[in-house]
Amino acid sequence: MADRLAMYIDTSKCMACRGCQVACKQWHDLPGSQTVNTGSYENPPALAPNTWTRIRFREYDDGERFQWLFLKEGCMHCAEAVCVDVCPTAALKHTPEGLVTFERELCNGCGYCGQFCPFGVPQLEVTNRLTGEAKSSKCVFCQDRTTNGLKPACVKTCPANALDWGDRDELLAKARSRVDLLKTEWGFPQANLYGELELGGLGRLYVLTAPPAAYGLPTAPKYPVVATLWQKLLQPGGQIVFGATIAGALAAFFLARRNIEMKEVE
Amino acid sequence: MSVRVRDSQTVLHIRWIPKYTTLERFLHWMHTIAFVPLALTGLILFMPWLRSLAQSEAGVTIRIIHRVAAVLFGGVPILYAILQPRRMIMHVREFLSFSRFDLLWLKAAVPYYVFGRHADMPPQPRFNTGERLNAVVLVLGTVVFGITGLAMWFGRGVIPPVVFQVMVLAHDIAFIITVSMFMVHFYLAVIHPLMWQSLISMRYGVVSESYAREHHGMWYYGEKRAKEMWQQRHHEETQ
Repeated sequence: MADRLAMYIDTSKCMACRGCQVACKQWHDLPGSQTVNTGSYENPPALAPNTWTRIRFREYDDGERFQWLFLKEGCMHCAEAVCVDVCPTAALKHTPEGLVTFERELCNGCGYCGQFCPFGVPQLEVTNRLTGEAKSSKCVFCQDRTTNGLKPACVKTCPANALDWGDRDELLAKARSRVDLLKTEWGFPQANLYGELELGGLGRLYVLTAPPAAYGLPTAPKYPVVATLWQKLLQPGGQIVFGATIAGALAAFFLARRNIEMKEVE
Repeated sequence: MSVRVRDSQTVLHIRWIPKYTTLERFLHWMHTIAFVPLALTGLILFMPWLRSLAQSEAGVTIRIIHRVAAVLFGGVPILYAILQPRRMIMHVREFLSFSRFDLLWLKAAVPYYVFGRHADMPPQPRFNTGERLNAVVLVLGTVVFGITGLAMWFGRGVIPPVVFQVMVLAHDIAFIITVSMFMVHFYLAVIHPLMWQSLISMRYGVVSESYAREHHGMWYYGEKRAKEMWQQRHHEETQ
């Protein structure tokens, strides 16, 4: 396996300019949407089929100081990606570099990915609720750019240098030293690294200045138990049951044909 | 009805006893027409080697077929309840009445259906134990399919994701059980050499007198008389 690639996100440097949101829309030809002012600079209000990344705004007061937290949302590119496992069309795949890629053409719109994702990332664009016609969408780490030696569009555009892209192990080391620095020099005792081990290791490595929950991140994201039951137990079990039923009926048929005298059947 | 046996002078006289109404037979085949495409389109998501049928436009099409068939599948019991409610209630009552004769039937079923030994078969009402079990599972399956299917169809984004996940799981469990039941039902009704009258009854609504006597004694003779006969036969055997 090739060295795993990852995105480094230093929330302590992010100033919420949202240049990454614009760069993402520009590179992937995603249209903007009309939104309303809800009293926050946070905009648009949530990830959407045409919004693959966005800055989430959270206010956090730990009693000693107030922080305005900015979290760059988007697909985490989990090593144990449940969306890849539950996708019945293989539209979602893992690349050797650890990217979770998405082939829109293959997607049939079932929406399992978004319902099983522990982060609720994949967004389903439903064109007809009755027939179920829909297409999923999510951040693909700019596969077209990153497999050709470029950085993702959002990383390239970030003016605060809060984002970086490259070898995951190198970025892990960079994130660890940054967390140490924030703790010791910058007065963020709660600084921590998110994404190192979660779900087999995320493709996003977050340097946080407050606990993950303060950002609205799940503290201990888990691979859904239902998905394990479904994929590892029920699907193979069902295949065995169907096979056994057919084999049983065939065996019963040949035995019955040998044993039953049709003359006696009126 | 008299039937002359081909190339002989033998004439068979068959008395036919009505078993199903016209509506029941019509709905049975509607149910079949709905169930088979539902099962096949569901199977596509189950078998990795059928994956290409789940992808792209093919996948969109199978999802539409699944939904159209689902509406038909759910419509059958609703139509039945509207058009012949008394028959439906009668059937449900019959489906839910089990007795010790059902245990005897279960014991005698394999020797009979596989080896053709009829002697131990206990008397049965209009539907035998297997038919009633099949019906109960199918009714329960329909309820589970209905709830989970509608939840996945219209509930995505409304119900919490974990509930949606459980719906997918329950839909799959119901799928495995009902499809296996269907295979057994198909084998016994269409393939099994002894059950040649089942297709006739689902086409013309009748079974022959001798078939009713042998297979559904409690229906043919009445419960009391059939049990007496069974005990008598059993008594003679044990002496």
